[in-house]
Amino acid sequence: MKNNAEVVIIGGGIIGCATAYYLAKEGVSVIVLEKSDYIGNGGSSRNGGGVRQSGRDPRELPLAMYAVEHMWPTLSEELGVDVEYHKEGNLRLGKTAKHKEILQGLTDRAVALGLDVRMIDGKEVREINPYLSDEITVASWCPTDGHANPLVATLGFYKRARELGAEFITGEDVLEIQKIKGKARRVVTAENVYEGETIVLASGYESRSIAASVGIDIPMRKELIEALVTEAEPKMFPQMLGTADADFYGHQTNHGSFVFGGASGFEAENRDNGHMITSSITAPCICRGIMKYIPKLADAKIVRTWAGYEDLCADGVPVLGPVKEVPGLLLACAFTGHGFGISPIVGKLLSELAMGKETTLDLHELRYDRFQAVI
Amino acid sequence: MKRYDLIIVGAGPSGLSAAVEAAKRGLKVVVFDENEKPGGQLFKQIHKFFGSKEHKAKVRGFVIGQQLLQEAADAGVKVVLNATVIGMYLDKEIVVRIKDEVHHYKGDSIIIATGAAENMVTFEGWNLPGVIGAGAAQTMMNLHGVKPGNKILMLGSGNVGLVVSFQLMQCGCDVVALVDAAPRVGGYGVHAAKVARTGVPFYLSHTIVKAEGEEYVTGVTIAEVDDHFQFIPGTEKHFDVDTICLAVGLSPMSQLLKMAGCEMEDNPKRGGQVPICDAYGETSIKGIFVAGDVSGIEEASSAMIEGRIAGIAAAHYLGYMDEEELKTKVKEQEDALDGLRQGMFAPKNRGKLIEKTEEGIDISMNLLKKGYVADDEIERFPGVTHKVGVHPVMECTQNIPCNPCQDACPKHCIRIGENITSLPVVDPDVDCIGCGMCVASCSGQAIFLVDETYEPGFATVTLPYEFLPLPEKGEKGYGMSRSGEKICEAEVVSVRTSKAFDHTNLLTIKVPADMAMKARFYRKAEA
Amino acid sequence: MHEINDRSRDIGPFVPGPDDDMIICRCEEVTKGEIRKAVHDGMFTLTEIRRYLRTGMGLCQGQTCAKLVKGIVARELNVSPAELEPATSRAPMRPIEMRVFAAEAKEGEEDEE
Repeated sequence: MKNNAEVVIIGGGIIGCATAYYLAKEGVSVIVLEKSDYIGNGGSSRNGGGVRQSGRDPRELPLAMYAVEHMWPTLSEELGVDVEYHKEGNLRLGKTAKHKEILQGLTDRAVALGLDVRMIDGKEVREINPYLSDEITVASWCPTDGHANPLVATLGFYKRARELGAEFITGEDVLEIQKIKGKARRVVTAENVYEGETIVLASGYESRSIAASVGIDIPMRKELIEALVTEAEPKMFPQMLGTADADFYGHQTNHGSFVFGGASGFEAENRDNGHMITSSITAPCICRGIMKYIPKLADAKIVRTWAGYEDLCADGVPVLGPVKEVPGLLLACAFTGHGFGISPIVGKLLSELAMGKETTLDLHELRYDRFQAVI
Repeated sequence: MKRYDLIIVGAGPSGLSAAVEAAKRGLKVVVFDENEKPGGQLFKQIHKFFGSKEHKAKVRGFVIGQQLLQEAADAGVKVVLNATVIGMYLDKEIVVRIKDEVHHYKGDSIIIATGAAENMVTFEGWNLPGVIGAGAAQTMMNLHGVKPGNKILMLGSGNVGLVVSFQLMQCGCDVVALVDAAPRVGGYGVHAAKVARTGVPFYLSHTIVKAEGEEYVTGVTIAEVDDHFQFIPGTEKHFDVDTICLAVGLSPMSQLLKMAGCEMEDNPKRGGQVPICDAYGETSIKGIFVAGDVSGIEEASSAMIEGRIAGIAAAHYLGYMDEEELKTKVKEQEDALDGLRQGMFAPKNRGKLIEKTEEGIDISMNLLKKGYVADDEIERFPGVTHKVGVHPVMECTQNIPCNPCQDACPKHCIRIGENITSLPVVDPDVDCIGCGMCVASCSGQAIFLVDETYEPGFATVTLPYEFLPLPEKGEKGYGMSRSGEKICEAEVVSVRTSKAFDHTNLLTIKVPADMAMKARFYRKAEA
Repeated sequence: MHEINDRSRDIGPFVPGPDDDMIICRCEEVTKGEIRKAVHDGMFTLTEIRRYLRTGMGLCQGQTCAKLVKGIVARELNVSPAELEPATSRAPMRPIEMRVFAAEAKEGEEDEE
């Protein structure tokens, strides 16, 4: 084990693993430091697996579109594991006039940026997915959206990066980043010190306190949100589902189980016992939500529920790229629950930044330096 | 949200014992259990328990369960069955599925007494139908009245493997072999001896190579293993069986504690993942206690005492008892627990080869390797004496915490003394009246009445018998040796059944005089 | 640092074994060979094995196979099984139908004997 590399990545989630992979593939030496004992233990293993473009903020949409068009379709082959990518559409469902208004707004913004998404009525919804209830009167339909397996995708990036020589060290709690001669260079953990030409900070909400060690405050907060999974069911439908109310989202996996996420309304206030314990009222609430949209699942057995932290940015899109005041530091955090779908392109962009190459996409609008007071 | 002083999860021996102690002190207690019947493993235990008279020795497990349930009802404990606990959340909230609804409850204190689950081992074909846990077999037989199989091989010579083998035979199954990879029998020698004398062969230092069959088990191959548990080629043995029972240990079902965030440790001595707890069973979260197998695999007798301690501690935690009473009451229980944790099978001796008894007598190596005491070993034990006329022969050869026999004799001719693990001694100066109370009282079925001078050339042996149908007086058959071999012809001269014997029948057989110290079981001649 | 935290630690090559096709996780039908191979893919913890292969994620939630998987992974890493942290425990402790989980009893509806 060595303590020096061209790039030191803080955070062994899917962003850190993907970045490590794209760097290692180019022959760049990488060390990834992960606080927990497990690779991908944060949102990377706890999200609903959506690979969506519809509903995204215009600043973020180009990343999602690029990933869907150029990266996800070949990812399994590239990583040597089946990431279970399905590009079979996303239905965002609505029941009321208010829902229709929300969906129309999202759709109009996405169409303006060139995304193939349109409004459809209840009849067409049920032609696409006959299991959906008659209560649904409207939806937005994006045929190129989809889903993948976040557990395998995260570990797949890790596996492939590791095979290519990237070093991963778990159980390394980063305390601070130190500047050397004006440049972020040193990463101090409880027991070790690591050095890199470039430091990538991709540790979810924990990024905030680590960035503070070099005087950077990322305006973000965290919420403990929940998801659940059923036993395997016969194949029903391949689309990703969401709702205008955002009361649940989910899909059926290759395995046959359904993964659904949802909310009780107390997410911003939910407490934790150090083990991301679920709240006793959320899963029942998610179940009631699902049953209203997909009545046939009422007898499906729930085998597991879990919780995970979302790192929510003040303005709803990630903080990505270099920071003027701290040369050598690349930020990749505050993904606001959208990190999984764009993780391949984020990894690629960060690797390009670390190598000093021109980036595939312009990241200007996602930089840390964007934050300004409202007036 | 509905709140109780104490919520207990698990209505087994420890949970019910805890409930009784807490409710007696005035706590409002509810016990949830996912099963349709209460009692946990107790209601599967049809054998008589070991121990001291104060702690239910010689009482059958299911009867102890009935007594505990009655005690709980008398103390005002609410036991909710078919109530599956889904999770233990923040702030001591328990969510329970009852019928088709989920209920939320909070406890000011909680005792987790969820017990343990059976371990599995892998071999080719281990997942074929017909490979079952020994505990599962016991549930089938003793709770549901279903015969688990016809020809059965048992893997595991711990108490579970031994007790269940015996019960399988009582149920009418043919146990073809008892196999263990360890070089020595793991459970009590007396349990092994009562299985061996029926003719079940013991294969120590052997394990299963493969379960045979396409759709379900039709046979099994075992082979001998070396010191590193590797198969020795050429030692394979095949048996036609339809069922393979695995009695290879238990793992604590501690998931609720882990979910709630209690500090856990992986402790192989306790059987796996267990909560870190203090002497009262209190975990790292104040007010959450544990008792029984969930905090470390032991016997039901110790689980009941641990339950009582946790119940008392919960009462103190909530101010229903002062510090002084806590200390006194817990001390009483701890003394009892210490009593149970003595002898050669005490937790501290686990895995050790004990070569001598506390009295300095050489342990029977044959008992450890083959399941029975050899004829040339038996005479060295103090319970085995010779005398004119009928007298007890106590083939109790290992120090275990058990003493009901010394109170059983109305003439007080059996003595164990202060130390509950001492081997029983017969007082030669007291005349035995042949009442058989000692025979029926021995949970290990290790006491026999022998009359070496019954008739010229003949002796009688009175033995405990718990099989059906009962032989009839005058019936002819065979005397079986301790190893289960036919060694002589035998005639049943009496069959005694009595309420005081609690379903242990006393069979007296007449055998040739030189077989008096050898014949230890009876088998009817085949028609 | 614990030795399994260094994910570049050399654990030697994957050597196929005669019993690699033996099913270990019955619910999800995962074989011993797949588990051993996953360790060589870098999955050094039971949690990662579980996420990578689905061991212990089926109906029994690992009640049967957790100990078996632990033994296999420990042997492959050449560490003691006790050094491997078991996977976490999550509600529901037993599988539960969605309609039942959704049906929360209302306060006061319950009998008060």
